[in-house]
Amino acid sequence: MTMFHFFNCAILTFGPHAVYYSATPLSEYDTLGTSVKAAVVYLGTALVKLVCLATFLQVSENDGFDPYQELLKALIGFIDVAGLYFALTQLTHRNISQNHKFQAVGLGWAFADSVLHRLAPLWVGKGARIHMGYILQGLEANANLVLSISLAALASLIWLRKNKPKTLIPIIYACAGIVATMPSITSYLRRGLGWYFPKVVGFELFTSLVMAFISWQLFFCVPKALCMSSRVYALLYHSKYEAVLIAHQFTSQASYVVLPWTTPLPTLDFYRLCSLKV
Amino acid sequence: MATFKKSGGLRDLLESMYSVIALLFILVACVELCDAAAAVDVYRLIQYDMSGSPFGSRFAALNHHAASLRFPPGADLSRTVLIIPLRELNITFVREYITQKKPLGGLLFLLPEVLSFKHGGNKQVHEKEKMKKLLAELEQLLVHSNIPYPVYFAFENDDIDTVLTEIKKNDAMGQPATATTGGYKLVIPTAEPKKVASPTITNIQGWLSGLKADGDANQLPTIAIVASYDTFGAAPALSVGSDSNGSGIVALLEIARLFSLLYSNPKTRGRYNLLFGLTSGGPYNYNGTQKWLRSFDQRLRESIDYAICLNSIGSWDNELWIHVSKPPENAYIKQIFEGFSNVAEELDLKVGLKHKKINISNPRVAWEHEQFSRLRVTAATLSGLSVAPELFEGTGSLFDGRQYVNESAIFRGVKLVAESLARHIYGHQGKGVQIFADESSLAANPAYIRSWLDLLSQTPRVAPFLSKNDPFVMALKKELADHVDEVNVQHENLEGIFTFYDSTSARLNIYQVASVTFDLLLLLVLGSYLIVLFCFLVITTRGVDDLISLFRRPPSRKVKTA
Repeated sequence: MTMFHFFNCAILTFGPHAVYYSATPLSEYDTLGTSVKAAVVYLGTALVKLVCLATFLQVSENDGFDPYQELLKALIGFIDVAGLYFALTQLTHRNISQNHKFQAVGLGWAFADSVLHRLAPLWVGKGARIHMGYILQGLEANANLVLSISLAALASLIWLRKNKPKTLIPIIYACAGIVATMPSITSYLRRGLGWYFPKVVGFELFTSLVMAFISWQLFFCVPKALCMSSRVYALLYHSKYEAVLIAHQFTSQASYVVLPWTTPLPTLDFYRLCSLKV
Repeated sequence: MATFKKSGGLRDLLESMYSVIALLFILVACVELCDAAAAVDVYRLIQYDMSGSPFGSRFAALNHHAASLRFPPGADLSRTVLIIPLRELNITFVREYITQKKPLGGLLFLLPEVLSFKHGGNKQVHEKEKMKKLLAELEQLLVHSNIPYPVYFAFENDDIDTVLTEIKKNDAMGQPATATTGGYKLVIPTAEPKKVASPTITNIQGWLSGLKADGDANQLPTIAIVASYDTFGAAPALSVGSDSNGSGIVALLEIARLFSLLYSNPKTRGRYNLLFGLTSGGPYNYNGTQKWLRSFDQRLRESIDYAICLNSIGSWDNELWIHVSKPPENAYIKQIFEGFSNVAEELDLKVGLKHKKINISNPRVAWEHEQFSRLRVTAATLSGLSVAPELFEGTGSLFDGRQYVNESAIFRGVKLVAESLARHIYGHQGKGVQIFADESSLAANPAYIRSWLDLLSQTPRVAPFLSKNDPFVMALKKELADHVDEVNVQHENLEGIFTFYDSTSARLNIYQVASVTFDLLLLLVLGSYLIVLFCFLVITTRGVDDLISLFRRPPSRKVKTA
């Protein structure tokens, strides 16, 4: 594989991350710090996962699908989810809206994943012959990016949004579960059913697009609680049926839907507000 | 204000990104070759001049594309190297190319791994006779032709096999390897081969004195046992000559050892001097032997009763030949032959007599004893070969490796020669006395034979490439010195009509040449994909207006902020 081909595969694997960062408003609001922190958290969880895998997993001789080993791997994969939770909630971020927070975290997460799992084979394989596997790996990185962002969206829905409609909660958790266990599903497909790598990559791309669409719909349908941002100026009225006027600095064109509150609120609670971006 | 600054900053970022990417692209497009797909040891065909006429492969450096035998007919091969494994070798095809002087970039012959003395080990060779015949024919063709491009030999291994299958696939699709369509390139970066300055041949002689009776002023008669130790083959770095003449050297050393045991005690010392000669220059009409004999004192030469030359006694089944140049009716020849036949009968093997007259005007010397005969010394050659070899035939060819010799054949040969000599020395002709009986302390040692044979089978011994103080020559000298009283080393220059050129082995790098068009297409596709992705994301997250504003440069605003 020449340097030229290496360059091609590298921009296929890492280009979308850079493009995503520069194309969306993430670059405007300088969320690089968030992404970097998320990447560091990913590295930490990867280390913890490695230790757990090394301790609990047995090396199997054949390449078949062992359900118990896979179950164990899936359980350890939930450490991933825990890391994502940590990155979303515990780290202090600068003043960014929840909308951009999950994107930044998802982006940093996916970038760290690509670097960790795909950079080394690409660099080492530089001297070998041209291999379609590197291009497929790049496509897989793209799918992984979309999946990471959807997972971050669903995770932020689960942990950062307080008031969700009851009917949507199981769907949210189901989707999050599916996305979180994607690695186990792909490994089952590859080993248990014996799918070839191109087929698996195609499946990943398809599911990532589907999950992205579903999580997008979910994200924008669940009414949003205002995030704790000092840029939000809230004027509260403690009256039962009065409108609440909130100036939202992220969009200059926010249209408000006024909702009467139905339950007694403590003093510093925020009213539900559904902001629709045009 | 803030938004203007942000968009300006974004534009700067994008511009710098584009310029960096463009620079990288230019840099990367210049680099075409990548790391080697494989690196193999290769051995060059010999290059020599004989009386001014050039022979062998005249070039060493290689930098061409590779092709297999399935190249599309009519393709131009003047800048391609043909890779030919031995099992697909068609001698007539190669002969056609060489004799008709068709243009070719180079030849690479792939030999089976069993023939390698480094990695082959002791595996059995399948279809020995067929391979031997094919290799002999190929070697004779290559050694006696003048080939104006590099010819190399290599051993098959996994790397080369995969490369060859790839090349065959490409050729089958009708695509000869060029810069744009991809393929493999063979590169050997060596300098031009230089002449070997004054090649030396080194003769080693060992002298075992016999028992001189008190008061006897006459010179004791001498019996000489001679073997030539150097080789010559198509690939000098692979020319180990286990049978020709490794077997002879081993037999000579073992006989020297046995007689040194006998001669160490004055009570059992014979009344004959023994002269052991390890000569060089064998393939070149026994040039070394001639010079060695010429250096003898007249008295010494006259005292030699007879000389036995050993040549290729490692691969015979049950018949050995004694080649003589004096007519068989000669009394001395009769005596020698009878002595050998008697012992042969006891050892249950046959010995035949072959007579070949010497033609003084013909410079070709086929057997070593002919050099003795030209100086009026009675001599005979003991050999497993029944026919005299041609020039450069069977003097250490590619198949003459460890698997080709049979150490039990050498063992029996040693017993035959030692017993016959001993009976002549001690006067026990015709009597059924076994001096070197098995299980006795004077028995021939098969382990000694085997260990020396193994060493010889791993040492290429082409004389022009052996320096004056070559470690192998020193080892032979030391070994002989262990057994005999006195060892002398004689350095001579090889006969002037031969000139040799160096660069006998090299390292071949096989590079995979990428087809640039594929990568360019891929870059185009990826670039458009990224651009589409960028536009899609901008539209969905910021709106179409932002996308359009990226391309429109508002000069008036810039002036304001400045």
